Amino acid sequence: MIGGLVLPLLFLAMTLQAQMKVQNDLDTVKQKVSTLNDKVAGVEERLATAESDLAKLTKIKLSGYIQAQWVNYEASNVYPGNYFMVRRARIKFTYEPINGIVFVLQPDFQPGNITIKDAYARANDPWLKTFSLWVGKFNRPNYEVEFSSSSREVPERSRVIRAIYPDERAIGAKLEVTPPKFPLKFQLAVFNGNDGIATPDANGNLVVLQNIDYDNYKDLMARLTYDFKLGKWGGLTIGAHGYYGRIKANSLTALNSDYTYKSTLENLGKSVPKQWFGVEAQFYADVLGGLSIKGEYITGVNSIPGITTSASAVTSTNVIKNDTLWMTTTLTKTSNSTPAITKSFSGWYVYLTKNIGKRNQVAVRYDWYNPNTKLAADQIGTAKYDASKTTKDPNPVKTFAGNVATVTQTDNVYTSKLNSGTSDIPYGTWTFAYSYYFTDNIKFMIAYEMPMNKKVGTVGANGNGNVVSAYTVNGVTSAYDYSNVIKQNVLTVRMQVKF
Amino acid sequence: MKNSRKLALIASIVLLAVIGFAFIPAPKKITVKGSDTMVILAQKWAEIYMKSNPDVIVQVTGGGSGTGISALINGSTDICNSSRALKSSEMDKLKERYSSLGIEIPCAKDGITIFLSENNPVSELTIKQLGDIFSGKTRNWKAVGGPDAEIKLYGRENSSGTYVFFQEKVVKGDYAPSCQTLPGTAAVVNAVSKDIYGIGYGGAAYATGVKHCKVKKVDKSQAYLATAETIAKGQYPITRYLYMYMRNRPTGDAKKYIDWILSADGQKVVTEVGYFPVK
Repeated sequence: MIGGLVLPLLFLAMTLQAQMKVQNDLDTVKQKVSTLNDKVAGVEERLATAESDLAKLTKIKLSGYIQAQWVNYEASNVYPGNYFMVRRARIKFTYEPINGIVFVLQPDFQPGNITIKDAYARANDPWLKTFSLWVGKFNRPNYEVEFSSSSREVPERSRVIRAIYPDERAIGAKLEVTPPKFPLKFQLAVFNGNDGIATPDANGNLVVLQNIDYDNYKDLMARLTYDFKLGKWGGLTIGAHGYYGRIKANSLTALNSDYTYKSTLENLGKSVPKQWFGVEAQFYADVLGGLSIKGEYITGVNSIPGITTSASAVTSTNVIKNDTLWMTTTLTKTSNSTPAITKSFSGWYVYLTKNIGKRNQVAVRYDWYNPNTKLAADQIGTAKYDASKTTKDPNPVKTFAGNVATVTQTDNVYTSKLNSGTSDIPYGTWTFAYSYYFTDNIKFMIAYEMPMNKKVGTVGANGNGNVVSAYTVNGVTSAYDYSNVIKQNVLTVRMQVKF
Repeated sequence: MKNSRKLALIASIVLLAVIGFAFIPAPKKITVKGSDTMVILAQKWAEIYMKSNPDVIVQVTGGGSGTGISALINGSTDICNSSRALKSSEMDKLKERYSSLGIEIPCAKDGITIFLSENNPVSELTIKQLGDIFSGKTRNWKAVGGPDAEIKLYGRENSSGTYVFFQEKVVKGDYAPSCQTLPGTAAVVNAVSKDIYGIGYGGAAYATGVKHCKVKKVDKSQAYLATAETIAKGQYPITRYLYMYMRNRPTGDAKKYIDWILSADGQKVVTEVGYFPVK
C-alpha cells in the first residue's frame, strides 16, 4: 500500500524536479539571450558611432608631393656650385564638409622653412553649378602659374612668369565662372597685390610682407579661356588674361622706363602702375601618343616703388681767426632716394611636349623675358637718372659775444639717382627635359636649362663693358661683364614622389 | 683555360635562353576598368573576344566610372568604361599628365530605368516627380498617386557615373540624405525587389524581379518604358551614351578589340546584355 503511494509520489517529485530544471535552463537561456541582445545593441551603437566618425573622415582628403633634386650650376658666381636640395615638400589638406564647400590648406615643409602656400575656402554655387567663390591665398589666374610644378614638364616656370607673379600665390578673393555646358572659363580676382614682392619698410629696408597689404591699392586680375575640339586633330584652348594694379611709390620722383624723369608725386601715398595683358594658347594632338604645344605672350608695365630714407647729423667746428673764436654748428639734413620707376616689359614662352608611351615624356621650352623694352641693348648701363644735389645754408645765423662768434647753419644733401644695369638685361632660356614616370606616384626628371643673357652695354677702349656685376667666391672677387654671354647653365636631376 | 671555356659555354647557354624567352610571345593583356553599369557588358565582350583571340587576355573590373577615370589618368588601366562623359577637371589631368585630351568612344546606349517593387501600384512618373522624390522634396507615395507610405530611396555611390548622370539630368541638385547608396545597379535592383515602398535607378541590363516605371518628360506628354525602340527614337527621356575612354588613339591589340566592339558582332552583345547599340 505504502509502496503503491511512494512510487507515484517519487515519480511526481522527479517530474517536478525535471520541470524546474527545464524552467531554470530556460531562464538561463533567456538571460543569456538577453545579455547577448544587449551586447549586440552595444556593438550596433558603437558601429553607428564609428560609421559616423568614419563618414566625417571621408570628407578630408590628403594629397601631396616631395621633390628632391641635385642641381649643378655652371655659373661661377654660385657657390656651392652643386648640391642636393628639397625643392618641395607639400601636404595638401582638403576638407569638404558639405557638397560644394571646400577648405584647402597646403603647407610647404622645406627644411628650415615652413610656409603656407595655399589657404583658402571655396564655395560652389549649388544651383547653376557655374560659379565658385574663392577667398584666401591661392594661385593667381594664369596658365603657367596654375599648372602645378608636380605636373610641369620642366623644373621651373618661365622667367617672365617668375618676375611678374613671384611666389605664384596671392591673398584675395576670386570669382570663377565655369558653365557646365560651355567650354569656357572666366576668372576674376582681386588681390592685395604685394604678394612675393619686396617692398620698403619705414626704415627703407626691403621686406616681403606675408599676410598684410603694403598699401591701400588693390589689384584686379581676370582670365578667360575657351576650349575648341578639333576632331581628329585634337583640341585647342585659347585665352587671355589681364592685370590692373598699382603699388604705392616710396619716392617722390617717378621715372619712365628709359630712366628719364616722368613726374613728381605729391606724396609717398601716391602710386605707380602695374598693368599688363597676355594671350595664351595650348594645342593638344594625338601623334603616336600625346603631343602639346603651349605658349603665352605678356606685355605691359611693371613698377618698382623706390626707396626714400632721411637722416640728420649735427657737426661742430671751432676755429680761431683774427683773435675771434668761430664756433660753427652745422645741421646736415640728408635725403637718399631711389626713384620709383615704371618699366615696360614683354615676355613669352613656348613649350613642345611629347609623351612616348605612358611612362616617358620629353619637353623643350624656349622663354624670353625683356624687363625693359624701352632700352636698346647699348643703352643699358648708360641710361641713368641723377638729380642729386647739396645745398649750403645761404643765410647762416651768426651771433657775436665779445671775441666769440657763434654760427648756426643748416645744409641739405639730397641724393636721387637710379642707373640702368643688370635688372634691365633681356634673357632667352632654352630648357630641355626628360621625365620618366616609374609609377604614377614616382617621377624622375633630368633637365638642362640654358639661360642666355643678351649682350648689353658699351665696350670701352680697354675692352671691358660698362654693365658688370661683381661677386666674391671664396675670397676671390670677380665680375661678370654682360657685353658677353655669361655661362650660367643649370643641370637638374630630380625625383618626385606624389600621393 | 678549361674553366674559361666552361664559363663561356654557360654564358652562351644563358644568353641563348634569355634571347629564346624574349621571343616567346607573351600573352597580350588589355585592362578595362570603370563603370559598374557596364561591367556585365564589358565582361561579356571580353569573354567572347578571348574565345576567338586566345592570345589576348582582357581583364575587366568595375568600381564605378570615377574610379575607372582615375585609373586611366594614373595609368593603371588601358581602357576606362564610363557611363558619363569626362568632366573638364578630369580632361585637364589627362592634358597635364599625357599631353592628351583622351579618346572618347561611344560604345552603347542606355536608358536609365526606374525600378519599383512589383507590388507598387505606381506605374509612371514625370522627370520632375522623380527629381522631387530623389531630392527629398516628395517623401510620400500618396503625392504621386500611390499609397500613403514613406518613399524609400535606393541609389548609387558618388563614384558611379549613373549617380552623376541621374543627378544632372533628373535630381538637378543634391540627393536626399535618406537615399541609401549601394555598390552597383544589381544591389539597387535587389533592394527595391524586397521593399514594396522602394524606388531605385540604374542600367536596364540589371532589371529582373522589379517593375520598370514608365517615365514622361512633363505631365502632359506620353510616358515610355526604356526599350530599344523608345531609346532609338529618342522617346524615352533618360537616355545616355556609355563610353570607353583611352589616353591616346588605340593601336595594336587594343585597337583590334575596340574595332570588334564597334563591329556588328560586338554590338550584338550590347543588345543581348540589355543595352542598345550605337550603330
